[in-house]
Amino acid sequence: MQRWFRTLTITAAAALTPLLSAPAAAQVPAGYPADYANLVAAARKEGKVIVYGATDTNAVSPLIKDFEALYPGIRVEYNDMNTTELYNRVVSEKAAGGSSADVLWSSAMDLQIKLVNDGLALAYKSPETPKLPDWSVWKGEAYGVTYEPIVFVYNKRLLKADEIPHSHADFARLLREKGERFKGKVTSYDIEKSGVGFMLITQDSKVNPGFWDLAKAVGGVSPRFQSSSGTMMERIGSGENLLGYNVFGSYAMLRAKKDPGIGWVVPSDYVLVMSRVMFIAKTAKNPSAAKLWLDYILSKRGQTIIANQSELGSVRADVEGELTAAGLAKTHGNALKPIPVGPSLLTFLDQNKRLEFIKQWQQAMGARK
Amino acid sequence: MTTPVSSLAATSVWRFFPTRGLVIALTALTVLVPLGLIFYQSLLNAPFFDSQASPGLAAYAFIFDDPDFWDATKNSLLIAGSMALIAVPLGGALAFIMARTDLPGRRWIEPLLLVPVFVSPMVLSFGYVVAAGPVGFYSVWVSQLFGTVPWNVYSLPSIAIIAGLTHVPHVYLYSSAALKSLGSDIEEAARMSGAGPLRVALDVSLPMITPALLYSGVLVFFLGFEIFALALVLGDPEGHLVLATYLFKLTNKLGTPSYHLMAAVAVCIIGITFPLVMLQRLLMKNASRFVAVKGKAGRQRPLALGSWRWLAIALIGLWLFVSVFVPLSGVALRAFVTYWGEGIQLSEVLTLEHFRTVFDQPALLRGIFNTIAIGVVGGLLSVACYAAIGLAMHRRNDRWSRFIDYLALVPRAVPGLLAGLAFLWVFLFFPPLAPLRTTIFAVWLAYTVVWLAYGMRLIQSSLLQVGPELEEAARSIGASAARTSRDVTLPLIRHGLLASWLLVFMIFEREYSTGVYLLNPGTEVIGSLLVSLWATGGADMVAALSLINVVLVGCGLAIALRFGVKLHD
Repeated sequence: MQRWFRTLTITAAAALTPLLSAPAAAQVPAGYPADYANLVAAARKEGKVIVYGATDTNAVSPLIKDFEALYPGIRVEYNDMNTTELYNRVVSEKAAGGSSADVLWSSAMDLQIKLVNDGLALAYKSPETPKLPDWSVWKGEAYGVTYEPIVFVYNKRLLKADEIPHSHADFARLLREKGERFKGKVTSYDIEKSGVGFMLITQDSKVNPGFWDLAKAVGGVSPRFQSSSGTMMERIGSGENLLGYNVFGSYAMLRAKKDPGIGWVVPSDYVLVMSRVMFIAKTAKNPSAAKLWLDYILSKRGQTIIANQSELGSVRADVEGELTAAGLAKTHGNALKPIPVGPSLLTFLDQNKRLEFIKQWQQAMGARK
Repeated sequence: MTTPVSSLAATSVWRFFPTRGLVIALTALTVLVPLGLIFYQSLLNAPFFDSQASPGLAAYAFIFDDPDFWDATKNSLLIAGSMALIAVPLGGALAFIMARTDLPGRRWIEPLLLVPVFVSPMVLSFGYVVAAGPVGFYSVWVSQLFGTVPWNVYSLPSIAIIAGLTHVPHVYLYSSAALKSLGSDIEEAARMSGAGPLRVALDVSLPMITPALLYSGVLVFFLGFEIFALALVLGDPEGHLVLATYLFKLTNKLGTPSYHLMAAVAVCIIGITFPLVMLQRLLMKNASRFVAVKGKAGRQRPLALGSWRWLAIALIGLWLFVSVFVPLSGVALRAFVTYWGEGIQLSEVLTLEHFRTVFDQPALLRGIFNTIAIGVVGGLLSVACYAAIGLAMHRRNDRWSRFIDYLALVPRAVPGLLAGLAFLWVFLFFPPLAPLRTTIFAVWLAYTVVWLAYGMRLIQSSLLQVGPELEEAARSIGASAARTSRDVTLPLIRHGLLASWLLVFMIFEREYSTGVYLLNPGTEVIGSLLVSLWATGGADMVAALSLINVVLVGCGLAIALRFGVKLHD
């Protein structure tokens, strides 16, 4: 029913489009090659772009609205699903030769790289590439489009000022010294259930030489593991848990705005930064519209919305906002460790390496049951 | 097993065969194809659409070698067992009190009893966390009174008890449907000879409905293996796994989908439950002993409880408080506050924001609309299918009936999560079905198959109550089998059918795991949305949507009751 209405309004809009001054809308963004107009025209013909995404519809809708205003007549069909589901769907649709998306966008960076590595991506060098940091682009196929520091989250009401960890080392020391106080009060990702949680922990182990000591300290306080940042924060906000380790800064900031009990810290020793990876599918039925969408997301205009309305942090150095690459570079400089978009993410998709790591982690956690 | 009917049926089997054959064939197809896919998948060492996939037992080797699997199996058995032990006696007792006695206020208690059926377990689990978790509304209050919280909702026993209590209504529905169709003359005879209400219940009424109790007991046991949300929400913090959450864990454990491992787990679950079906068949052999609706209408008169009344009220009140009031009040509170927990004045954080957000999101609105549609229209269609299958088996104790009987119980034994996944594969790999994949039909079909056993049992319980002489009377004056079904059998079980429609409606409203893999723009249903919102931590939305769900069903139920669609009469 709703869908029918939407189709109706879209059809009406499409019918009216020629009556509006079409050429004005087809303007090529500044600094783009002149033949970009042809791409816009082709995309207009396609009329829509289908995106499979793992980012909340809430966060994406300002982007969709703005894109549709910029390119009238091109509709964005955004399908919101979780990261595993997204990967499964793409792989099974490919095998079945069924319909699939034009653009794939997910926070499971490793799975996205695997898809690209398996040859599912269309090579497309975006005109925005010079404006992007090197670590965020791979092979001119996969693009990291957000900038999300990984932080500690704590309960402001129940944690004393001297108990707030400002670095990973602080955090480990706190748990060792106050084990009794934090028993059952520390929460983090269940790395077996959450692909993203697993990816973060393995990145930790690469960046932090004292990682296994930290793991032992966590294991010593009977940690509570959840499969999402949201669940962790719900429990921290309520005071059931006091401290969260490896939480998405983007979510923490949003949550803290609504719940004054939530506090968060960007660690000073090193900050993992994750980035949602986007690429165009080789089998895209609407390749031109897909290119327009990717370029828009990477453009200053799109990134400004990502930073200030979607609250996901901009990857560009020339975009201002609270949690952006530019802002964090001023305060944390060298401590920032963006997870590079590239083949190094594939290491732990190797089954044996993965299970080995999980086993090691579980040993460090001890018999937490 | 022979009855006078089977010989009669044999003579006209040819006249009945085409329709019956069609029903059986369709049922077999919709149940066995996804099931076959699961078996096939479990015998490969990679997802079946992977070009690298080759046959082998690697999947089984992997899970049998995984201590988590044995842990999960143990916990599942424990939970399923406790569920049956808790739900069957309580459900039977509640059914007897409600259906047979003069307890005051029965009319408004009954809808309350059914709450846990139509509230998604996802909601209830969430409610328990908010109400009785370490810093839940009630826990904080109790710890202020006594200085400590005497329970832990995250422990395994708590999960088992909560699972048992929330499955009481399933048993209640079957038992009371069966009780309603009994005449009360036998009970009155017992009362006249001086038996008290308890004695009547234990020695007369409940034994009369043994088939319904057995069926519901086995079904509840099955459901124990499907427990997913409770274990997901309550079991996660302390790491208690059950088979369904173990399966869920496998989704990510290897980083890439491990369908072969998931399928192997599903096969193990079926391996546990199938012998139970055999056992149940054995127990049901003497079903005809319980025929109680004869050509002569049995009048029903409620038993006077007398001083037992207070005990009955206390029992019902306590159960309602623990299984309905506590979690739902938790969810309701959570839906109207911005945040909660230790050291927060609730009066300062009240808000309507969450509902505004829900109504702002097209996907969520669509989900609400789809949920209503699949419950009302889909439920009706499903009951029609179940009735057709039920009639195809009715009065026929041949191989086909037995086959369908087993068949109906099998999908129930497959966790919804995986059943949904299997249907996704079916829709993906059978080109004629492909266009339907992104429509609500896909979800409806999966729901109908997953809940086949459920609907069938209710219809069969009603069918078992129909004495053969009524049908024989029709047949002897020359009515065809189809005509007999239409004019005699169906009218006699109409209350059973209406009850199953309502039951199925409620089940479809709250179903959550089956739709997860079939979730597309356009096929959103509240249950699956709850899972995905929970995964992304949208607790505000979860609370608001849950409340909307409960209100919707409450309205539906009220309308049904208002227009005389009574659960029983």
